[in-house]
Amino acid sequence: MEQKLLIVDDEAHIRMLIGQTLEELEDEGVDFFTAENGEQALEIIQAEKPQLVFLDVMMPKMNGMEVCRRVKKELGLNDVFIVLLTAKGQELDRQKGQEVGADVYMTKPFDPEKILEKAREVLHLQN
Amino acid sequence: MLKLSLKTILSKKNDTASIIASLSQSLNANIWIEDHSGNILLGNRSESYKVEKIIKVDDEVVGVVKGDETANIVAAILNQSIQKEAEKKKLGSEVLNLYQEINLIYNFSERLAQTIEAPTISAITLEEAGRVIKANGGVVLLWDEVTQRLKILASSGELFFVEEKLYSEIRLLSKILLNGQSEIITDVSPLLDAGILLPDVRSVIYSSLKVNKRTMGAIILSSNEFVQYTAADLKLLTTLALQSSAAIESALLYEKNLREAKEREEAMRLVYEATGKFVPYEFIGSLGHNVITDVRLGDQVEKIVTVLFSDIRDYTSLSERMSPEENFKFVCSFNERMGPAIRRHRGFINQYLGDAIMAIFPHNAEDALLAAIEMQKEVQDLNKIRISNDQIPIQMGVGMHTGPLIMGITGDENRMDATTISDTVNIASRLESLTKHYSVNIILSDSSLKQIEQKEGFHLRSLGLVQLKGKREAVEIHECFDSNTLPDMEKKLSTLAAFNEGVSFFLNKSFHEANLAFKRVVDTDPSDHTAKFFYRNSRKIIDEGVFENGAGIVAMHEK
Repeated sequence: MEQKLLIVDDEAHIRMLIGQTLEELEDEGVDFFTAENGEQALEIIQAEKPQLVFLDVMMPKMNGMEVCRRVKKELGLNDVFIVLLTAKGQELDRQKGQEVGADVYMTKPFDPEKILEKAREVLHLQN
Repeated sequence: MLKLSLKTILSKKNDTASIIASLSQSLNANIWIEDHSGNILLGNRSESYKVEKIIKVDDEVVGVVKGDETANIVAAILNQSIQKEAEKKKLGSEVLNLYQEINLIYNFSERLAQTIEAPTISAITLEEAGRVIKANGGVVLLWDEVTQRLKILASSGELFFVEEKLYSEIRLLSKILLNGQSEIITDVSPLLDAGILLPDVRSVIYSSLKVNKRTMGAIILSSNEFVQYTAADLKLLTTLALQSSAAIESALLYEKNLREAKEREEAMRLVYEATGKFVPYEFIGSLGHNVITDVRLGDQVEKIVTVLFSDIRDYTSLSERMSPEENFKFVCSFNERMGPAIRRHRGFINQYLGDAIMAIFPHNAEDALLAAIEMQKEVQDLNKIRISNDQIPIQMGVGMHTGPLIMGITGDENRMDATTISDTVNIASRLESLTKHYSVNIILSDSSLKQIEQKEGFHLRSLGLVQLKGKREAVEIHECFDSNTLPDMEKKLSTLAAFNEGVSFFLNKSFHEANLAFKRVVDTDPSDHTAKFFYRNSRKIIDEGVFENGAGIVAMHEK
């Protein structure tokens, strides 16, 4: 099956950074999608059913928590692995993240190595 | 080198493929695109072609466009497109590198914030540096201003230097590694020649630890291979060094403050200890204070206490035979024995008055009596030594009285003194001076005796009433002979009944009967000078008819 991953962040440089970090996966055949707000993210998730989503929490229109809640609780897309990204110092969101069904929670600034490691693990790709 | 393939450029997410497709279609062109391995990426291969255009990125061939003239245009578009993509990637990669640096520094700061110890800070710095910069070993050196020596704060990985040389080769080190710079050392031979580095070392990179332009040390990384350290490596190491030097400086200041605070505390403790020897803490404690600095002029407290006075009998004539120095030594050795005996029984010395001691027992008169007995035994021990040294044995009298006492601080703001103001003190002092007249070791007033619950634990006999000079009321006094020699005690016990009878007659003004009773005592024990004293006194009253106050009271006018 074709591997897909989605990067959701309202900040272009963060999308670029995550994309750049995971670049080698693209060469290994993983399809990359990006979205810059919650609504757009929800559309892509429904249409493409990516295996992995890096989802920023603080976004206009629809925030990451809400996107996550809809995907997991309303649409029941439990095969979509969601990594929530939040700025450091807002760790209180962790519990909320678990409540809306997020699989993993990471803080920004993120450690690029850890992002790549997580992506490989979820997509079952050997290094 | 950035990997960039034609395939990516022609992937469906990119517009390039669709532009080329519609272009070829509208021009009715016959072209195809191959990657560098000859795989067809777009179009169909034909046997013959007029044009062959190579696609390059940064002088590297990534593919070829073949076919009719349209291939020229397609190749131009592809070249343009792939060049843009390459630039984007390069930029992205640079941003990622910067981001990784930020992440590193962020984590580093976070870890530094969790420690306040210079060696830990140094170890963290080495760990973080080792994560991003290739090295076999690392060390953080600190110049200790106090000892004027280098100090190893932390080291990591393999040992790459000779420790002793760090201490001996300061001159060279101050030129190379501790010069306040940050450098990549490509030629390590001077350090190898001096024996500072181990022979295997090939490359060294270091950064100074500086605070306010003052070089306080360096962080040094070494490799056993020829490593081409880059400017980026040096920049990272410098950044780490900058952060850690500020943290190390804070840690050292903190340590210094802590050390100084401890020293001050110790100094204060010594002061307290010293002042405590001049002014007893029990005294300050009685005033409701914990420390001497809390004591204020006019502080006072009134308490019922037992005051004990001791004095060496005929000390004046004794001291006349000694030089001032001998005198002083004697008093010191004497007081050294008395102080502990008093403290062992919860008493404290209020004052040393040459050979005399005034002590206060705040709890119970029994404490004072036990102390008095022990003090007398100490005198006996001292006398054994004196006799063996052909010196005259000394005698000491002890008097005690229980009553109210005001302890307080008097004087003026510049010279304060702990003072006791009380009649109790005067009485105790007078009772002590009576010991000579009565030829007894210890005299206690009746008020002291009343406070003693276990009276049967002591050997006591009444000495009747005494009229002290300047006092309206007569005081009943007792002798305690527990500190006397065993034969002496036995004798006194055997005559105790007769003695008590004598005192009783004396008090009842039956002087004839008293005289007879005391005669019996003296006949049995000629060494009982107390009985002799009463015998003579009663005789005198009978013969001369002298009654001081018309009562059986011994009047004391001396002292």
